[in-house]
Amino acid sequence: MADAHEPNAGPGGPGGFAPPPLFFERMQRLQTAVACGTPDRVPLSLVMDLFAANTMGVSYPDFVSSVDIAGQTMLGAMEKLGDVDSIQFPTYAPDVLGMLWLAPMKLPGRDLPEHSQWQMDEQVRIQREDYDKILEMGWSPWFGQYIGKHLGAAAAAGQALQEAGPRWTMEYMKKGYVVFSPLTVDHPFEHLAGARTVKEFTLDLFQIPDKVQAVLDLIMAEKREQARQFVRAVGQPGLGYWVGSWRTAPEFLSPRLWNRFVWPYMKELVEIVAEEGGTPVLHYDANWDREIERLKDLPARRCVLELDGKTDIFRAKKILAGHMCILGDVHPAMLTLGTVADVKAYCGRLLDEVGPDGYIMAMGCAIPPDAKFENVKAMVDSVKR
Amino acid sequence: MTTSPLAQAVGDLEEETAVTLVQDKLAKGEAALSILEELQAGMNIVGERFEEGEYFLSELIYAADIFKKAGAPLQEELKSATQSSYGTLVLGTVKNDIHDFGKDIVATVMGSNGIKVIDLGVNVEHQAFVDAVKESGATLVGMSCLLTTVFDDMKDAVQTLKDAGLRDQVTVLIGGGPVDQATADYVGADYYCKTAQDGVIAAKKVLGVN
Repeated sequence: MADAHEPNAGPGGPGGFAPPPLFFERMQRLQTAVACGTPDRVPLSLVMDLFAANTMGVSYPDFVSSVDIAGQTMLGAMEKLGDVDSIQFPTYAPDVLGMLWLAPMKLPGRDLPEHSQWQMDEQVRIQREDYDKILEMGWSPWFGQYIGKHLGAAAAAGQALQEAGPRWTMEYMKKGYVVFSPLTVDHPFEHLAGARTVKEFTLDLFQIPDKVQAVLDLIMAEKREQARQFVRAVGQPGLGYWVGSWRTAPEFLSPRLWNRFVWPYMKELVEIVAEEGGTPVLHYDANWDREIERLKDLPARRCVLELDGKTDIFRAKKILAGHMCILGDVHPAMLTLGTVADVKAYCGRLLDEVGPDGYIMAMGCAIPPDAKFENVKAMVDSVKR
Repeated sequence: MTTSPLAQAVGDLEEETAVTLVQDKLAKGEAALSILEELQAGMNIVGERFEEGEYFLSELIYAADIFKKAGAPLQEELKSATQSSYGTLVLGTVKNDIHDFGKDIVATVMGSNGIKVIDLGVNVEHQAFVDAVKESGATLVGMSCLLTTVFDDMKDAVQTLKDAGLRDQVTVLIGGGPVDQATADYVGADYYCKTAQDGVIAAKKVLGVN
């Protein structure tokens, strides 16, 4: 299957439940922005996890131990923040990130001190010989073995989210919140770079490029059909799917490598999600300045470009205006170290220069755990001007 | 000044050529220190191309690996050389952060640009930076993090250097995903390095290397 972190948990209303009018008002606002239109007000969409725990006085170990505690805590933080249109994930379990980067996570209270942020345990877990094994066995059988060896907690988290996602989506809908983009379709490059580590994988790209491409092609051969069937099976038009980029950012790779190992796969996955009626959410961390023009090749007025503060969002708007909705990008360091005045001034600039058409106000990447509540509140309130 | 074939091979990322040229030079009896200087000249070409936007992080990583492989046969002779590095950098990911991606790349790139790196690893106690500076006489300290939640740990680590009376003799460089100039101001660092190459430029500036 596609890498579904929280399947079947979208804005279409599972189980025949009728959401309140506020939900539809917010949904309309978001859909207008995605289509590059000008809504009645710039919408908001948040990503948060341990910030919610801090906001609601829940311990980190409790938060990461249960998808229900996480869902309840995140919903509570949404209510405390006030008039927020949407959240991207309805609940969370950091272990699931292991399925993206093929590396186990370290969690507070389990592997780290209680008040630590969860972190990925990045080590070289596959060797060059494993490329041959993948080519010989096929991706899914090899990956199944790998999960058994390294990713038991990640798989369990994925299952827990699969079960809890729809339930928590409904809880948000009852309160009028839209769950905007709870599902993911992952780039095969991210899997291999995580399991090899960035340094070793980069050397592979130079020293054994043909073999790496053969493995990426093999994974993609499975992924393209799985992604299509997955989006089709979820069957909620407009629901957001993260087609994210972390280690695939142009900042890290020269055009020669990026054009060969990143973009063709990225473009195809985005097109598949869009063709099947989903909204590809390009959660692009790090600096994408070099390749912003390239995003004009993606389906018009169907995708959302989510930036983290490293890409020049103002330049991106000039290039993509009318073609792609942009979401972001109040920098995590500003939410943590800045003042309310800093946040207000920056949000004002975002609203003026990136909005009001085709824009969704948001943090860069995710609200950091130690963000000041008043700073996040200032970001939330900025759209009401 | 003309560029030597060895420096050009490193600059052009021609791994096999660089390795072969070093072996040839050693066979002809050339001094290891002189060969090392050519390899470092090659890394300067890589750095210039990075600054010009021709090369990216991927090329920095590959060039550093070429430098390491080609330079491996020189190590024994260099141990007895009086000066094989411009200066010393104590480097680590600060306490409560276990990410080593950025830190490892900085270590690799710094090392291939003539800067000796004492890599303290990840989740480094504040006092460990102090101990390593005292022991090595390093004039550069590099701190990395990927989490906003450890900004205070970075600040405390800088403060610990100050408390130990070492702050005036070291230059503190910081970098990492969420770090920016405001972070550098907050923690009391001297330089915010957006990229590994920024770190090399800052270090060379501090060390007076052209």
